[in-house]
Amino acid sequence: MYGFEALWFNIKDGYLDGVVRGHRSGLLTTADYNNLCQCETLDDIKLNLTGTDYGPYLANEPSPLHTTTIVDRCTEKLVDDWNKMRANADEPLGEFMDYCTYGHMIDNVVLIVTGTLHERDVHELLEKCNPLGMFDSIATLAVASSMRELYRLVLVDTPLAPYFSESLSAEDLDEMNIEIMRNTLYKAYLDDFAAFCRRLGGATAEVMGGLLSFEADRRALNITLNSIGTELTRDDRRKLYSNFGLLYPHGHHELAAAEDFDQIRSAMEKCPPYQAIFTKLGFGESQMLDKVLFEEEVRRLCDTFEQQFHYSVFFAYMRLREQEIRNIMWIAECVAQDQKIRINDGIVYLF
Amino acid sequence: MSNRYVCVPTVTVLAMMKARLTGAVKGHALLKKKADALTLRFRQILKKIVQTKQEMGKTMRAGAFALTEAKYAAGEFATTVLDSVESASVRVNAQQDNVAGVKIPRFERVMTGASDTKMHLTGLGKGGQQVQYCRKAYMTAVELLVELASLQTAFLTLDEAIKTTNRRVNALDNVVIPKLENTIAYIKGELDELEREEFFRLKKVQANKRKVADELVKRRLRENGPTPNGAKGALHDMMPGVDQDADIVF
Repeated sequence: MYGFEALWFNIKDGYLDGVVRGHRSGLLTTADYNNLCQCETLDDIKLNLTGTDYGPYLANEPSPLHTTTIVDRCTEKLVDDWNKMRANADEPLGEFMDYCTYGHMIDNVVLIVTGTLHERDVHELLEKCNPLGMFDSIATLAVASSMRELYRLVLVDTPLAPYFSESLSAEDLDEMNIEIMRNTLYKAYLDDFAAFCRRLGGATAEVMGGLLSFEADRRALNITLNSIGTELTRDDRRKLYSNFGLLYPHGHHELAAAEDFDQIRSAMEKCPPYQAIFTKLGFGESQMLDKVLFEEEVRRLCDTFEQQFHYSVFFAYMRLREQEIRNIMWIAECVAQDQKIRINDGIVYLF
Repeated sequence: MSNRYVCVPTVTVLAMMKARLTGAVKGHALLKKKADALTLRFRQILKKIVQTKQEMGKTMRAGAFALTEAKYAAGEFATTVLDSVESASVRVNAQQDNVAGVKIPRFERVMTGASDTKMHLTGLGKGGQQVQYCRKAYMTAVELLVELASLQTAFLTLDEAIKTTNRRVNALDNVVIPKLENTIAYIKGELDELEREEFFRLKKVQANKRKVADELVKRRLRENGPTPNGAKGALHDMMPGVDQDADIVF
């Protein structure tokens, strides 16, 4: 599996590899989180964050702080880091980094499309878009009046075009439930991303393979869990699962047929890595599942930094930062809403 | 000006005033009863409002936190939810309650069941459960809100009604009834006065008549000499009806 990346990796990507590993050391540690948890007000949180990488972004915020402001500034930090790295990236790292953001791009396209169908203001919608998933022609999405036009005029030029043309027909675009559309696109995206990583080969393929199959399996699990009791049929459910991952294909059959949490559980437990996750849960505790899965994901993402000469660190860095922002949001909300008893329920410690 | 109605003190007016007084007393009793009923209800509502508000605080907190949980698990999902709404799934129905003749608006939450099925798929890929949980939490909050709105409106309406009723009760109690009583007393006084005058006048007339009759008798006696029947007989002869004077009523 290991090729001779060590020979040429640093020629093109050595600088950015260094940069991203530097950013990694800027992620908040358990000690930082402990300090944040002691905060009594949002201003305290700001003060605590001043000593971290987020400092410059929060420094000029006027005092009545809101959780959303903090989260926005933190996201800004991630986006700036990401764009800086993207601008310096050589191929194929650049393409890899683009792939990492397609997920956000799908969310943005879905957001704008639904917004347009309900005749909302484009600028208002653009503000709500995830800045990581921006592309040049995104504002023109709102021009199209029907879904067919939308595809013909705008989407065809975006990297998302193949996902649309592969998995959705024009009628689907008009009638399909927006959540199903989003998940269909996401499935196509994950399949494509996995194929791309396999093409890259080497350590990237191996590490990303693991990460993406976990992502795919987690999605399958979530879709199953969330579609119990809805009108989504088994076949439709089956169509939303990605075509790879540890559960593919046998686990998917079982998941598609599952009717309650215990059936899902028994389907998942047939995979040894997931068995370990589920043993952490008591029976009937589906609420904690999200956190356990987040923890598992973070563990896997952190492990990627242990390997050399591969691109997964960029993906891992983005995901870890996002988790960190979620943590900060959780802490800030708990502090703002005076619910500090629950503060530990949402924090996933990175290191 | 003295505290009474301006009127002519006659028996008819007196009867009228007495009728008005009974009316006023009865009305006062009724209004008093109404005010009591309203106040009772008012107190009940006040108690309920306090309860509901406290509960509201708890529910809203739970809702806000459920929203945080949902955001944590599902990311920014607000726009998706907003855009998938076609018609309201909760509507408020207004009805009217009747408390002692006061019409009080009452609101009721009605589930239309619209866009329920669409909502179930929100956050399908991640965090759907939390979104549903958040939805439920806010549903209870909405229910409480509607209840609270209903109570608050009832509170205001009742407050207004109680104020007017109390004003009326007080007006009857302190102005109308005393005034009527004064008027009645005045009329009675006037009537008695009139009666005494009348009596006095009759007495005067009688005395006058008797004086005239005596003089007549004396003159006759002087002209004709004493009559065998005596003065009394002569008087009877000449002035029939002195004993039954037509003017004397009693």
